[in-house]
Parts: sequence; C-alpha cells; structure tokens
Amino acid sequence: MALLRAALCPGLTAQMVPLLRASGVRTVVDFVSSDLEDVAQKCSLSYKALVAVRRVLLAQFSAFPANGADLYEELKSSTAILSTGIPSLDKLLDSGLYTGEVTELMGAPGSGKTQVCLSIAASMSLGLKQHVLFLDSTGGFTASRLYQMLQAQAEDEEEQLEALQRVQVTRVFDVYEMLRALQELRDSLSQQVLSSTGPLKVVLIDSVSAVIYPLLGGKQSEGLALMMQLARELKMLAREFSLAVVVTNQVTRDSSAGPLKPALGRSWSFVPSTRVLLQSKEATSEKTNTRRIASLAKSPRQPTGIQVVLDVGSGGAQELSPATPTQGL
Amino acid sequence: MGDAFRRAESGTQLLARLEGRSSLKNLEPYLFAEEGFPVHGDVVEFHGPEGTGKTEMLYHLIARCILPKSGGGLEVEVMFIDTDYHFDMLRLVTILEHRLAQSTEEMIKQCLGKLFLVNCSSSTQLLLTLYSLENMFCTHPSLCLLVLDSISAFYWIDRSNGGESFNLQEMNLKKCAELLEKLVREYHLALFATTQTIMQKSTSSAESSFSLKLQHETDTDYRPYLCKSWQQMVTHRIFFSKQSNSGNSKAFSVISCHIQKKHVVKRSFSIGECGVQF
Repeated sequence: MALLRAALCPGLTAQMVPLLRASGVRTVVDFVSSDLEDVAQKCSLSYKALVAVRRVLLAQFSAFPANGADLYEELKSSTAILSTGIPSLDKLLDSGLYTGEVTELMGAPGSGKTQVCLSIAASMSLGLKQHVLFLDSTGGFTASRLYQMLQAQAEDEEEQLEALQRVQVTRVFDVYEMLRALQELRDSLSQQVLSSTGPLKVVLIDSVSAVIYPLLGGKQSEGLALMMQLARELKMLAREFSLAVVVTNQVTRDSSAGPLKPALGRSWSFVPSTRVLLQSKEATSEKTNTRRIASLAKSPRQPTGIQVVLDVGSGGAQELSPATPTQGL
Repeated sequence: MGDAFRRAESGTQLLARLEGRSSLKNLEPYLFAEEGFPVHGDVVEFHGPEGTGKTEMLYHLIARCILPKSGGGLEVEVMFIDTDYHFDMLRLVTILEHRLAQSTEEMIKQCLGKLFLVNCSSSTQLLLTLYSLENMFCTHPSLCLLVLDSISAFYWIDRSNGGESFNLQEMNLKKCAELLEKLVREYHLALFATTQTIMQKSTSSAESSFSLKLQHETDTDYRPYLCKSWQQMVTHRIFFSKQSNSGNSKAFSVISCHIQKKHVVKRSFSIGECGVQF
C-alpha cells in the first residue's frame, strides 16, 4: 500500500504531506477515498489542488481499461501457439502451448512429467529457435537426456550445441528462490534491450508442488498466500510478456479408491488454464514401458476428457536408455 | 466526495446516470428464477469450484450483451475486471463467430468495441481502479454490465497481509464491496461477480446430498468466506456444478437463488464450441 510522500506525484508538495498525515490521510487509498471537501477544510489546503492530486493519483495507481477491439488486435500479433514437439500432445492442446497461459502437467512420480518438459525444451530450442527458461526445483533436470533428445532431432552438432545454449536452467529449491528467479526474469524481460539472450517464449517449472508442499499445513493462510503470490506472478508474466508457462504438479486421491486429482488443493485448482493428466499405461510384458496416456482435465478450448497416447521414450535414442523419467519427488 | 462529484455533473452525465441504461431483459432468462432478468442495481454472484463453467457463462453473457440487435444481442457495453489474469479473448471471439450470421473481422471488432477490459493485480489496485472507473460509467451511458472475475482472487494474500487483525485482513475487500454497491446503485448497473469455492465444505458429504439439501434451505451448505459487506449486497446467488458421469450431454448445472424472495431454480446446460447452451 503506497504511502503518501512528497513528489509521489506532481502536485503533491512537501508542505501538503504532513498536513494530510495530521488529519489521518496517510496512504493513496486514504486520500482517494476521503471526502476532499472535508480534508480541504481540516488541513486548510486548496480544494482545487486536492482534486487535481486525486486525479493524478488515480491515473498513476489504478489499472487502465483497454477496449476489447484494440486488445484483440494486439493479441492477434502477440499470441503464439508453440508446438511441444510431441504430435499427439499438440493435438490434445489444440495445436500446442498457447502463450499468455499457464499449462499444468500433473501425474504421479514416473508418469513422464519431466520427460515431457525436457521434450518441450528440446522442441522449442531446436525447432522454433526460442529461448527456454527451465526452473528445476527437484533436481530432475538432466542435461544428458536433453542432449540425447536434441541429437535425435538434429544431425548437425553445431546446431545441437546452439540449441543447448538456448535452454537456461535455474535450480530453485524453495519458493523464495523461485519467486526471486521469476523477479529476475521479469527484470530482464522488461529491459529487453540490455539482455544478451534472445526472445524468451517458454518458462518450464518442474515442479511447482515441490516448493509449495512444505508451506502448506500448520499456519495455513501464510503458506496459501505465498502459493497464490507465486500463482499470480506466473499468470502475470505469462500475460504481460506473452510467455507460455508450463508447471508440473503431483496427484493425490481423496481415498484409496478415489479418482486421481491434482495436488495443492482448491485454491491452486483455479490457477492453470489447461491441465493435462499423465498416467503410465498398464505395464506390458516388455521391460521398458515408455508409453503414457495424457488426458485433458481442463481446457478453455477443447472438451475435457479426451485422451491421447504419448511415447516419452521417443525423441531420445531409444536403444540408449530405458528412458525412465527422473523424478526427484 | 460524492457531493463534490454530483455538483460537477453535466446534463448528459445526469441523463446517463438516471435513464440512459437500456434494459437487460432477455440477457439470459434461463439463469434467473421468477422475474427472468436482472434489473439495474442487481448483484449476481456466481459460485462454484474449478471447471464448472463460471467463466464460460460470463463469456455467454458478454456475447449476449455486445452482439448487435440484428444478431439477437442487446447491443450494450460491458466492463470486465479480470483479477485472475484469466480472460481468454480468443475464446470469446470463437463464441462470437459462432453466433454472428456473417462473422467478418469487421463485425467481430465492432462487437468487441463494446467490451472494456481491465486487469487488477492486488486488492489495493482493484479499489483504486473502481474509483477511477466511476468517471467511465458517467460518460458511457450504454455501459450496463459490470463483470468481476473473481472477487475472491485476493483472499489468501489479503488474509496474510492483514496479520492478526481481522479488520485489516478484510479492509480492502470491504471497501471494494461498499464502493461496488454505490457504483451499481448510482449508475444503474448490473454486477456479475464470481467467487471461487476455495474452502472445504464443513461435512465431507458427497455432492449429491449438497444439491438436495440446497433445494430446501437455499444456502446452508454453502460456506461464505468473503466479508459481510459483500454477502449482504448480493441479490442473486448462482451455484455452479458439474456432473462427472460422462454419458449426459448437459453435464453442467446451475442452481439460481433469489436471495430475498427465496426463489430457487435449477437448470442444466452444456458447453460446446459455440459456448453455453441451455
């Protein structure tokens, strides 16, 4: 909450501030919501000057409405649909990840969340030549696996290395580190000119539940407030800088027989625009099972409940590794 | 301050304030019990868990408002306050395209010209923005609908910022509610606001018993958590839910309650490519 001080806005002079404070008007909200005629009399200030200050404060601190037609025009040029590099997942997401939105991948350990994230990173950096920020909170990011995926998609070694350089990995092991990393991202994006890195389109967070779980329980409301702060920051970044934000989440059940549902509870459930549930296909006789079922649990565009089959082993050289997802949780 | 404003009002503004707003009849008869449409000054709360169609219903209502009269719309302006950074313009455009006879780019833009959008990132900013919007309601006589999605967005953050003091925790929201009430009353608007089900129900009983109970005693099992000033200004409360059994085509349903008259009506609807269908 902004406190009134001299030079906060034009017209608010150093003489006015103490007078206002003496009559109980301390913050911008106090000023805007008080009866200016009353204040003018109490502080013997010019009513006209106060009205002018109020107008400037409102312009400075309130959000400005945009016309829908203008916004649409702007969105048409700023929105991008980014392919995940997995054709069946693209189909599920109505052709890919939409910028400006938060997409959640949820699933039990070993369901392929990290693999899908790595695959998205590979496809973005190699295919679309976009920079990717990977926030790793579980230690699950493995560069060799990413390199493997790149090798499978591109012949040229130079090209592979360039793609690897476009993926920036930051390890964050608690929510404060994560918020700081996002703040740094915001700073660097808002001074785009200075940054040496190219345009960023995707932020991958694996996993968001790992940093939020320790906060929940006990003194509930503080942990929930931090969680919502993180959610708000992710959504604002996505909107303001046209980023596609992908987060991974755990799953839980109400009872042992109940259906799988995303972890982090109700308040978080409103955060992602799109949710995809990843599940292993029933174990087959083969030793390595790389097939996963992805089903759409929430979407603003597609009917929920549709399912596709993914192969998390593809993209990397299949004969090289058993391709078991590396989950830190 | 109210008085100061009143004195500065011009003749056109006075007219806009008192009689310029057109009727919201035909907005969506299925959504309201008894009288069939919200009158100016009504405050409608959409309440429900994630994925039950609240935002879709808002798109539906917005489309009804901003479509031209020739296309079955009301041709009025809408102000949408997005506190969740959730509004999907492309989705609204898809819905409009399905409902317009010839959906040229020009027509779409003409419709969208009647929609105003503002994002708020904190309850303080919401409050200040509401103050600054007052001028806009004055100067736009055809602005009839104010949509706030959602009013519960800052609940946890405000609770934590307020520390131990209960008053501080809900101070901003209380001020917002009071200001909303004043705006809605003075400028003859209809307000639609969503509140999210973020609290566990007190009992762990299944959804079915919830809706059964609801028909008898309208709002017993619903757990209000927002400040009193908000609870008291709501005139209609509409509960959203979704049936999980997939065989039914109309999987979504609403229970609409008129708070004072205690009328309750239950409807089900489906959501398709072209939006909400009753």
